Amino acid sequence: MAYEITLLTTIAISVLFALSLNFISGFCGQISLGHAAFLGTGAYTSAMMTKASIPFLVTLPAAALSAAALGFIIGLTSLRVRHDFLAITTMGAGFLFVGIIRQQDFFGGEIGIAGIPATGLGRIGFMSLCMSLAALFALFSIAVRRSWMGFVFASIADNEDVTRILGINASAYKLIAFVIGTATAGVAGALYAHHFRFIGPDSFGFVESVSVLAMVIVGGIGSVTGIIFSAAILSVMPLMFQFIDDYKLLLYSALLFFMMRFSPDGLAGLFKRAFRKYAGERP
Amino acid sequence: MLYLELFIQGIVQGSIYALIALGLTLVYGLLRILHVAHAALFTLGGYIGVIVTNQTGSLALAVLVAAILVGIVGMAVYKIAYEPLLSQPPFIALIASIALFIASEELFRIVFGPYGLSYASQPLTGHLELFPGFRLKYAEMLVIGMSVVVLSILAYLSLNTRIGIAWRASVTDPSMARAFGVNIQNVRYMNFFIGSALAAIAGVLVALLNNFVEPTMGSVASYKALAIIVLGGLGNIRGTLLASMLLGIIEAFGTIYIGHLIDRDALAFGFLIIVLMVRPQGLMGVK
Amino acid sequence: MTFKVTLASLTLGLSMIAGVAHADNIKIGLNVPLTGFAAADGKSALNGAELAVEQINSSGGIKGDKIELVVYDDQASPKEAVPIAQKLIEKDKVVAGISGSYSGSTRASAGIYQEAQIPYVSAFAIHPDITRAGDYIFRTAFVGEVQGRAGAKLIGEMLGKKRVAVITLKNDFGKSLAAGFKEAAGKFGIEIVSEYEYSIKDRQFGPIVSKVKSDNPDAIYASGYFFTAGPLVSQLRSAGIDVPVIGQEGYDSQKFIEIAGAASEGIIITTSLDRDSKSAETADFISAFEAKAGHKTDMVAASAHTAVHVVAAALKNASSMKPSDLRAAIAATNLPASIGTISFNDLGEVQKDVQVQVVKDGNWHHHSVINDAELLAPPMK
Repeated sequence: MAYEITLLTTIAISVLFALSLNFISGFCGQISLGHAAFLGTGAYTSAMMTKASIPFLVTLPAAALSAAALGFIIGLTSLRVRHDFLAITTMGAGFLFVGIIRQQDFFGGEIGIAGIPATGLGRIGFMSLCMSLAALFALFSIAVRRSWMGFVFASIADNEDVTRILGINASAYKLIAFVIGTATAGVAGALYAHHFRFIGPDSFGFVESVSVLAMVIVGGIGSVTGIIFSAAILSVMPLMFQFIDDYKLLLYSALLFFMMRFSPDGLAGLFKRAFRKYAGERP
Repeated sequence: MLYLELFIQGIVQGSIYALIALGLTLVYGLLRILHVAHAALFTLGGYIGVIVTNQTGSLALAVLVAAILVGIVGMAVYKIAYEPLLSQPPFIALIASIALFIASEELFRIVFGPYGLSYASQPLTGHLELFPGFRLKYAEMLVIGMSVVVLSILAYLSLNTRIGIAWRASVTDPSMARAFGVNIQNVRYMNFFIGSALAAIAGVLVALLNNFVEPTMGSVASYKALAIIVLGGLGNIRGTLLASMLLGIIEAFGTIYIGHLIDRDALAFGFLIIVLMVRPQGLMGVK
Repeated sequence: MTFKVTLASLTLGLSMIAGVAHADNIKIGLNVPLTGFAAADGKSALNGAELAVEQINSSGGIKGDKIELVVYDDQASPKEAVPIAQKLIEKDKVVAGISGSYSGSTRASAGIYQEAQIPYVSAFAIHPDITRAGDYIFRTAFVGEVQGRAGAKLIGEMLGKKRVAVITLKNDFGKSLAAGFKEAAGKFGIEIVSEYEYSIKDRQFGPIVSKVKSDNPDAIYASGYFFTAGPLVSQLRSAGIDVPVIGQEGYDSQKFIEIAGAASEGIIITTSLDRDSKSAETADFISAFEAKAGHKTDMVAASAHTAVHVVAAALKNASSMKPSDLRAAIAATNLPASIGTISFNDLGEVQKDVQVQVVKDGNWHHHSVINDAELLAPPMK
């Protein structure tokens, strides 16, 4: 059973992490290529605290806060740049995060942090915590999307200049999206650290940022259900492909490429089209 | 003396960056696509260069073959991967490009093996002793010379020939260029051919400097070249050249003097973020 | 269309996972990086481990039963390694696990094995915390610090060089080597004149080379793997720096000599594998590996090969197949293997001599042996 529990926990953490990016990139249209830095901030904060014998549950809000603080700073700098410049700036922030962590002996440097204590919740308890946090945030996301704030986000994503002309403070809303999204990534990071119980600078690099963006885009940018699906599939896909070890990454990347090439609106779009076709075939 | 040597090392590295980043910025200028898979073409160039040199013994032939073959592959990448995605939001092409890059790295590993390749006998291992204790390796001279020559030829062509003018017109205003009878499609193919050929030349040169090509050779280039073209002001050629040289030199000195504080790769992005905060349009970009 | 492909491959995947297994074989788990940046070492380790299995099975197996490797690709990533460890333990029911991977993934799986009370042997991952996960975890490689101390003795005492420039690969491997080297440097009268760091992705060392040249040291202690050390050594030599360069087991591959070419002549390293060994185990391994893999062997392959033999020998000696008995048998190991005679201390760290090898005429050869037990003492509980 422990194997299935591990898989489900991994999936739940990935879903939470992907949804946190969706808040920024999906709802508000701000593409980020450095989201793993916030996962890392949360993970390091929480791991350092539990290693100092602070109870795990207490570290969750701390992880959220520290990631949100960093998110606020990056968000501020991001206000100055848009579109592709923003993607590269966030990517740069990701590299800076890893580059600085690497050099700090306080954070374990290159060696990373090993022996992160157990949460005391037990495997099933921890899995339930991860799943309920992911579910909660999914519901919250859906609620926000339907709210007035969701409309503002969508209009910024659609055309920021027009939004500003309407007299809406787009910068403030972008910052709100950044803070909520990064705080959630911080929580996901705390869970990540206590799930794998080993973290190092390489756990939060560019590859991780790209994979989470891939989850959001494959799911269908902005679609909560689509992203839950894609995060679940993509996070355990490498394990499912174990039987073709040598070709695993090739197959994974090829699938991702064909997805973009033939269904750029992701799984959500794919299902929508499939459904429409099915519905259309009936008289 | 040491400063001079570090400066030269910076120029060597900067020349490599320039050759790689130029193709990337050409693509961006024309199509607004962040072409991460460009770095895979750089790696492919390195592999072809080593294999052809080992088969024929001629480095010059290897450079030529690598440039032409990779140029053609570059056009194919455009046709197959990017053209159908032009109407989509830009991040779709970005993710497709990243996927393509990872797939290529895996293909290189599967086809050429995980251990990488080396020249059977490394060409141009000699050096010139400019003055006592100060050496310039032939390979390094070739790197600098090659980028100066290639980039000058390109600059001349783009300023003085019909093709060059058509190309510049398409970058500035595609629809107007089309109205004046420029075949945009051909310009795009040419763009990918030249950009990819430059990356291939860089690949052969890097293989020469290191005597080593490996499947993951392009991984640093894939993101650092992005930082460079953003620094230069996306799509701006002079800016890209300036940014490449500056970054090469900053890294050369940074490795020695602040390497213990911050990673060499992070250095590029630290510089990038500082520049963007002051000039959000890049070093030479226009608003 | 893509969706159908996805579905088809997922179904195929699930059915394959449920796939065939021979009930009688004794299963040993192996996590190795077969894709991603560490694929070269993973491939060597896998070849070494498979060779050991073939040797054991063809000489009668374990009390008549054959052993079988269950291999998964961990991409050298902790994130992949955790579910793999759990799958090996729960689904595949392995009697023991072996890591043919780097520190990150090995450290992450060690915790899982310890929790499940299944023995786990790290072939060449050097993170000091790996064996500290608990008493079911063993390591057949030196921790980095031990090898760093051996390097200091080699340079300061055996080669008699006192002014040393240190070039360190910035990861757990390079950092722990540097720590050990610096710790012992004073003891052998070594003065560290300068220190530089580079990242595992670097292949061009121009700036560092220029600076080292101006530092004018008597010797250079440079950590790295063959793919970084090859270019580094070649660039040091072509800049006209002719002082001895001392490396470690990361250099230990024929590929290093291929990349560095003529510059590799005279490079000295501390490692686990003696190419000119008189021991039958080592000589057999070297020739058998070449026959199997088609290229010359390396330290990584020898370590994985040794780790499999350690587990197999313990399986033979254990009083029952219970994990606790197997653990006890591994702890009591005293086995001549391809990387020397293996025994473990109370923390599960290996105790053996350090082999010093030198490149002569384009091949690794015997230089000397360091067997100073006090200097080489691994960390204890």
